[in-house]
Amino acid sequence: MTTFLSFLLNGLSLGSLYALIALGFVIIYKASEILNFAHGAFLLLGAYVIARVEPSVGFAAAVAIGIAVTALVALASEQILFSRVRSAHVASLTIMTLGLDVLITTDLTRRIGSSVMSLGQPWGADVVRLGGVNISENRLTAIGVAFVLIGLLFAAFRFTSWGVALRAAAEDPEAAALMGIRQARVGAVAWLIAGGLAAVAAVFLTGSPTPGLEPNLRTIAFAAFPAAILGGLDSTTGALAGGLIVGVAESLFAGYSSDLTFLGGGFSVVVPYVVMMLVLVVRPAGLFGTKELHRV
Amino acid sequence: MRTRRSGLMRPVAAIAAVAALVTAASCSTKGDDEDTPPAENSTGVVRTGAGIEGDVITLGVLTDFTGVNAASGKDVTEGQRIYWDQLNKGEKICGRFTVELDIKDHGYNVQTAVTQYAESSGDVLGFVQVLGSPMATALIPELEKDGLIGIPVAWAKNLAASPGYAVPGPTYDVETINGLDYLLSEGLIKEGDKIGHIFHDSEYGNNALEGSKFFAAQHGLTIAEQRIGAAEPDMTSRVTALAAEGVKAIVLTTQPSQTAGVAAAANGAGLDVPLLGNAPTFFPTLLDTPARDNLIKNFYLVGPNVGVGLPPAADLLKAYKDKFPNVEPSNSVVTGYSSSKIMELILQKACEDGDLTPEGVLAAKAAISPAETDGLTGTLDFSKTGISPSRESFLARPKPGVPGSTEGVEGNYEGPTVAAYVRS
Repeated sequence: MTTFLSFLLNGLSLGSLYALIALGFVIIYKASEILNFAHGAFLLLGAYVIARVEPSVGFAAAVAIGIAVTALVALASEQILFSRVRSAHVASLTIMTLGLDVLITTDLTRRIGSSVMSLGQPWGADVVRLGGVNISENRLTAIGVAFVLIGLLFAAFRFTSWGVALRAAAEDPEAAALMGIRQARVGAVAWLIAGGLAAVAAVFLTGSPTPGLEPNLRTIAFAAFPAAILGGLDSTTGALAGGLIVGVAESLFAGYSSDLTFLGGGFSVVVPYVVMMLVLVVRPAGLFGTKELHRV
Repeated sequence: MRTRRSGLMRPVAAIAAVAALVTAASCSTKGDDEDTPPAENSTGVVRTGAGIEGDVITLGVLTDFTGVNAASGKDVTEGQRIYWDQLNKGEKICGRFTVELDIKDHGYNVQTAVTQYAESSGDVLGFVQVLGSPMATALIPELEKDGLIGIPVAWAKNLAASPGYAVPGPTYDVETINGLDYLLSEGLIKEGDKIGHIFHDSEYGNNALEGSKFFAAQHGLTIAEQRIGAAEPDMTSRVTALAAEGVKAIVLTTQPSQTAGVAAAANGAGLDVPLLGNAPTFFPTLLDTPARDNLIKNFYLVGPNVGVGLPPAADLLKAYKDKFPNVEPSNSVVTGYSSSKIMELILQKACEDGDLTPEGVLAAKAAISPAETDGLTGTLDFSKTGISPSRESFLARPKPGVPGSTEGVEGNYEGPTVAAYVRS
């Protein structure tokens, strides 16, 4: 039972980070209908900036700088690349994000090189014991921070004018525009927030028991992509649920892999995609996504 | 109708023209191969062929500067550069040939490696480095078809079974048996224990598993297997599962970052047991991660060559420090240096036999056995394909602030169990 609880807690902590990343996908999708494939690159960028500046400015300031830089780069990408061609087909814009991802990742991979960079998390490898189950302080903090941020975002969607505008723009862009909602501004803020969330997730994804920042971090971020899709790409609740489902599934499949040898080694890495496909077969719009209705 | 036809005809004609050009080009290449025999000639009493122009021998290097094993690829290649620079300034091959390296970065991608092999194979006398089990495995048929020699930076048994490869040390199964023998002799594990083995589901991991299973059968141990993917990032659940099984040690056949992941997760799970890693599991930067303390306390590295801080590698360390005063080398530089030493022994033997053609070099591989590398590796035997070229391993512990960030604890170690090991 303790072992199962350990797997569950590890899955929830990983899942809450996936949820943060998936929320970034969802916010951008709601604001602009673009699937942002460069999100993993933003995550890598956030971690890289923090790792580079931490030795000279300390951890807290480094995290603030990392979040600011990543958010601004995300905003700049939107302003320079995407807002200029707003009339272009969404598919073209999505492909553009792939190009952006390759550009940023290639450069950062070159800069990171062969080292495993530390972000200098002050909690290091410390461990907390919760009811017979051990969890790294890093992962426990991650759960707390993720849920606070997700709660704040949910409140922002409901109670701020930007949140209402975002929901209106997602619901019916034309009607929202006619009502005087400035979609350019809604989109810009969405990219800014998504970039910031990626940097926050990076802090915890590179902490114990993960050894630190290495280029492989981007592929970890990709596990959040099926999380966003299975939750429903236009649903923030879906991002949270999808993230947790993917994290727990990954952890359980890795933990019980010796009883599942017929699935082969490393099956836990593909579990997010298998779960996504199973969900989409039953619910094509995802668990909480809006069904598309066409009047005929 | 007419308009449409002529509209269609233009691209069709263009495609036909391009196809004709491509066909002509490929015919002409083929014609060159068939009509012009390889530039085989006689240089004094030594026959030479492909891969030698004038007094220069070209050797291929297929390495990783940008993929998951970039850290080790860079150091292996630097060890090789240093070796051949020293040789070129000194005795040379046959007293007259210098060696140049044709270095290509495959980024740990099998398809890229295969393409690069095709580009280089006609211009080199052999490959002094093919880094990575998957790449080396994919190139087995190519090397055998072309009759070229290759030295893999990988120690899986399928490579030792290929007549083209000279594996520069014991295969992973033998290495794992030696590592476990060391833990047993030090009282870190005992007969009847259960031990965990976290390994890649690949030639690398499965070959090491053969070793741990053999050792377990000989000593009444039980192995708890954790078969993982090469890019699996989170080791927490794997280690939690092993902790639940009550393992007394964990064998690692993983990437370096996964080693740190296991060490950190073991610390988190309260699993305070020895961790034994095969050669590719450790890199000095792991001591900058949160796993540092547990690695220093519990990690044992078993590898095919001596550490960079030990006397047999003293020349290499000095040359490296002269070249890069502010960089700390890893033990991978010794792998590059020793594999170059093996290639030199083969080339000098081929020269003695008067045949530096690719066929002559391949024949010299078996003829150098038993080969000594001045203590860089154990004694090597390439006389029979399929056997592990060596049964001697080197054991080390992580130690910050020393060359390679490791401290040797046993050199040329051949445990009692490996003598009984006959590979299936």
